[in-house]
Amino acid sequence: MIECPSCGRKHRPGTLFCSECGVYLLTGGPLRTEPLPEEELPISRANPWANESIGEDAEDAAIPLRIEVLSTKRQIQIPNTPEVHIGRTDAVHGIFPDLDLSPDGGLEGGVSRHHCKIHQRGTTYLVEDVGSANGTFLNGQRLTPYLPHMLKNGDELQLGRITLRIIIEEPTES
Amino acid sequence: MDSIHEDYYAILGVPPTATTEEIKHAYRALARRYHPDTRTEQAPTALFHQVQMAYAVLSDPARRQAYDKRRAEAGLTPHAPFTWRIYLSRYHLSTQYAEQTLYLMMEIRPTGVETHRRLPLNLCLVIDQSTSMQGSRIEHVKRAARWILTELEDDDFLSIVTFNDRANVLLPSAPVGSQRNRVQAKISSVLTAGGTEILQGLQTGLKELKKHHSDRVVSHLILLTDGQTYGDEEDCLAEARAAGAQRIGISAMGIGEDWNDTLLDEMASQSGGTSAYITSPQHIRTMLRKRIIGLSALYATDLYLAFRSTEKVQVEHVFSTTPYLKHLHFEGDGVKLGVVEENQPVIAVAEIGVGQHSAGEHRLLQLELRGSVPKVNVDGVLLRDEVVCHFTEEKPPEEPVPAAMLSVLSKVTIFRMQEQVWEKLDRGNVRDATRQLEYIATRLFDLGETELARSAMLEAGRVAQSGTSTSKGRKELKYGTRSLTIASRRESHD
Repeated sequence: MIECPSCGRKHRPGTLFCSECGVYLLTGGPLRTEPLPEEELPISRANPWANESIGEDAEDAAIPLRIEVLSTKRQIQIPNTPEVHIGRTDAVHGIFPDLDLSPDGGLEGGVSRHHCKIHQRGTTYLVEDVGSANGTFLNGQRLTPYLPHMLKNGDELQLGRITLRIIIEEPTES
Repeated sequence: MDSIHEDYYAILGVPPTATTEEIKHAYRALARRYHPDTRTEQAPTALFHQVQMAYAVLSDPARRQAYDKRRAEAGLTPHAPFTWRIYLSRYHLSTQYAEQTLYLMMEIRPTGVETHRRLPLNLCLVIDQSTSMQGSRIEHVKRAARWILTELEDDDFLSIVTFNDRANVLLPSAPVGSQRNRVQAKISSVLTAGGTEILQGLQTGLKELKKHHSDRVVSHLILLTDGQTYGDEEDCLAEARAAGAQRIGISAMGIGEDWNDTLLDEMASQSGGTSAYITSPQHIRTMLRKRIIGLSALYATDLYLAFRSTEKVQVEHVFSTTPYLKHLHFEGDGVKLGVVEENQPVIAVAEIGVGQHSAGEHRLLQLELRGSVPKVNVDGVLLRDEVVCHFTEEKPPEEPVPAAMLSVLSKVTIFRMQEQVWEKLDRGNVRDATRQLEYIATRLFDLGETELARSAMLEAGRVAQSGTSTSKGRKELKYGTRSLTIASRRESHD
């Protein structure tokens, strides 16, 4: 029997797609994001409707956002663009995320090539999982893919095994 | 060995009746174009090899005769109404497994149509005029019905039946040419009232169709409804089955979200028609148009694919992709593929369980395609072939799975997952159903089907919270995933 690397369902030899989760079973090679064992990942889910109201008004206020990779202490100043994609560079398939976690052990850490994105709405930053293999966790709670969640200063964002700290420096009012 | 699945005549671009001289001439012209040294076009070398191979066989009278004979035996004569290509996920299997999976894909193509004349259509529109159709729904149906007239030829037959709790023949079956003007006024007179009893409309519509039904026309009933029918489902299915047996197809178009998709799908598949989910009233015309164009291009009916296998080989699931993904159920020793339109290949894939075999070659399956092609007066066996695999004790060589097969299977998998979600929910297994809906969403995003993926995500949220699916989500996913194999559906996405 062969085991689905994603959901663990057992299949007869020769099976091409997992009937439970739809994953292609023969994909191999070093570029593939390996699913992490379920017990390694937190199970509780974040509630998207718990978001506080989002400030839509201030179009000018570009609050700087920095991200720190906890394991490597690397700090990245996020460019002031509407959307920042986080993932792993795969030159072969033309995937170049704005924030590439390859240098931080992204592949071994279970980071997908397209993992999540952070977008700015007004003065608020929102994070959205884009269907990653191992999920995005906000302060230990798994995000439902494609539902944006609000980010606050000091939040911890976990992509597979890699943990990022969100640093949002509120401008001091003059 | 010469491959009988390659059409050497087609490769050289000559008719099967071509003389040796004509074949030589065609070869020289192609050789000049494709020869690696002199070629004027960027053609892959593989193509040149094909041309060479075709010429080697056809220029040698003995080989050509043997090739013709073997193709004729396989049903692949130049005049066969269909050709097919058969792919396996692998040809070498290991002797060590008690059970393993093998996939089979058949690409069944109608061969060139000699006559461009189409058979006359014998159509009946059966329109739901219940109260719920009031407003834009009935107006769009009326507009679509008027527009149908422009699409039909003078010698096509048309009838219109309206129904609510009772059925009423609005327009008795007659050639379109004789009643173009009357139809306009009749359609405008339709008003909405009452409930929905599909059986009434169905029976009355079929009666109208039978007035002009024969082997020389394409008879079809198109049902447009937005509602559920109560208590007469079984009778509706029995009518559909009986109609199908007489080669009268029924296509059902459900408008909005409340109609009974199980019943309409089943009626369509019993009779060899199609069913469609109409999300907005404006959509009615597009769907009707598609259906009529499809019917006009009808090439073969009652296509049936039979599998014969040994006890150790089990054909477990069969799907066809035309006109949309369908999970086919065994009836006797095979499955019904239904009707085929001109120039539209039918792709069928089968998932096969293969038991343990000893080393060596084994014939796992015999395939037979049967059907009726009215235009060329063929009725019966169309093609035959067999599936032979090689079993080895050592590890079988790596074989790439054909890309076309992977593409179809990835979509079939999603469609199948969606079926499983509803089965799980029916058994009350909310947790697993929710999780599988999320998997579906992930796969759909991978495919770039963002809209459909969002529907799956939202439905997962609703199922998790309420424990049941919504009628809208269920229909969106079912009709969305089954259309994944339709290439034209794809819009560009960045």
